[in-house]
Amino acid sequence: MTTPAHTPGGSPLPVPHGVGNPSGTPVVAPTRSAPHKDGGNSSLGTFGVKSGLAQMLKGGVIMDVVNAEQARIAEEAGACAVMALERVPADIRAQGGVARMSDPKMIKEIVDAVTIPVMAKVRIGHFVEAQILQAIGIDYIDESEVLTPADDEHHINKHAYKVPFVCGARNLGEALRRISEGAAMIRTKGEAGTGNVVEAVRHQRAVMSEIRKASVMSEEELYAYARDLQAPFHLLKETARLKRLPVVNFAAGGLATPADAALMMQLGCDGVFVGSGIFKSGDAAKRARAIVQAVTHYNNPKLLAEISEDLGEAMVGLTIDDNLKGGRLASRGW
Amino acid sequence: MQQEEDSQKDVRIGILALQGAFAEHQIMLRKVTSKRKIVIVLVRTQDELETCDALIIPGGESTTIALLARLAGLLEPLRDFSKKKPIWGTCAGAILLASGVENAKKGGQELLHGMSITIERNGWGSQVESFEAPLEVEGLREPERPFHGIFIRAPVVISTNTSPTDPPIVVISRISASLLPTSQTVVPLDEDDTDPRDPRTVVALRQGQHLLTTFHPELTKDNRFHEYFVTECVLPSVPP
Repeated sequence: MTTPAHTPGGSPLPVPHGVGNPSGTPVVAPTRSAPHKDGGNSSLGTFGVKSGLAQMLKGGVIMDVVNAEQARIAEEAGACAVMALERVPADIRAQGGVARMSDPKMIKEIVDAVTIPVMAKVRIGHFVEAQILQAIGIDYIDESEVLTPADDEHHINKHAYKVPFVCGARNLGEALRRISEGAAMIRTKGEAGTGNVVEAVRHQRAVMSEIRKASVMSEEELYAYARDLQAPFHLLKETARLKRLPVVNFAAGGLATPADAALMMQLGCDGVFVGSGIFKSGDAAKRARAIVQAVTHYNNPKLLAEISEDLGEAMVGLTIDDNLKGGRLASRGW
Repeated sequence: MQQEEDSQKDVRIGILALQGAFAEHQIMLRKVTSKRKIVIVLVRTQDELETCDALIIPGGESTTIALLARLAGLLEPLRDFSKKKPIWGTCAGAILLASGVENAKKGGQELLHGMSITIERNGWGSQVESFEAPLEVEGLREPERPFHGIFIRAPVVISTNTSPTDPPIVVISRISASLLPTSQTVVPLDEDDTDPRDPRTVVALRQGQHLLTTFHPELTKDNRFHEYFVTECVLPSVPP
């Protein structure tokens, strides 16, 4: 009887290796307790291959899909991965109730339909949903505030899995706490299902601003700042040295147009998630392809103008205030 | 005087920057010391490609990179480029360089046909099968020191199919056959786990000026592969 999520382990925290890392000294993390393919010569599920897959997704768009047909549309439109889920965030908001991990059968149908990586969401703290997704061979797990949290105090111990995790964050402290738990990729939380990019912008600006502050601090100041941010000192120090998060950082939550995607890229994100923004719009295939192009050519306004033309209707946007139906999802988790 | 200085013109190495881990290649390439000055160009348009003497196609998603290349009008220019100038493909880049692909997305996917091999996408399976393994590589500096191979949803070379007019394929690194995906049993494996007949053990190879790796040297801090590409593939092909 082994319960991966609760393996005491006690192995040292791997220092994740960076991307776009100015000093160019990626650190290959110590091999975790992974089974060996040939009795000791190779290793599966290392932090290197977990964060490495996120590096391969950079400059790409990860799209929410609810069935195999949508997954194929996303793949044809150039998605670098898809997120399999039962209801897109806009519907979770509208319908309410408890949102859980999707039916493994539906996820497997999506895995069979496409050749790109498939991600799926688990509830915050629900380590058994994560064990199930690892067992069916999913490529990435999103421990997501979009689903109803299963634990309001603890996140999953993500070191214990071969499958990598992505987690949401609103600021640098939250991002580093998730990385210290084993997340191999970070995304902004934004405010999912609103078609309103304002929260994603707020979160990305907060992270970047805090990194800039940390990057000019003395060691003494970093100790104090780590306390303020409630972040592990060694990860804060590594972030300050790299002048970026030590893992890949995507934008998510409320992106609906190619311009939204390019905005987040110019604010320093490595790529974008688009949830409800694609399949809740007028012409999903066309909009999806335009957003893929916008992420590649985010610094080319002339081309952005061309690809933004004639995309049909965008998803309906919601104002984010106290009356927001479904409430603020970003405040879930700590 | 001016002419003499210009006689060693800069070598321009492009990195296809449509999607994927291009920044990582840029960092590694910057650390390569060479007799001739290397200028790195991030390539997103045909104009940028045309200024380059050589090209690296990074890891990423091959379907995404191929679509973006087509939308940017780069597919044909890239195919022409592969006929004249050196290209190094890593992982997704290796798939794009191939002439045939298995496990392609439904409806097939576009390739550059730069090398005479057939390759299988995600040959080892999903991400939970991704692994790291030490490799012996022929021709690298300090050959006795293994190169750290990082294989992420890596492709597998299924067959080589050179015609008599093609440059020969030179294998520069193989992995132990015991690491091969268990789901594949096309060729029976030898006791000796470096069966020379089995193309699936090939993880790095050269054909003419081109270089192909199914793993990710750009994710290590060891720049010997980048150095190898510059000295063995690029410099000999760029006239001074």
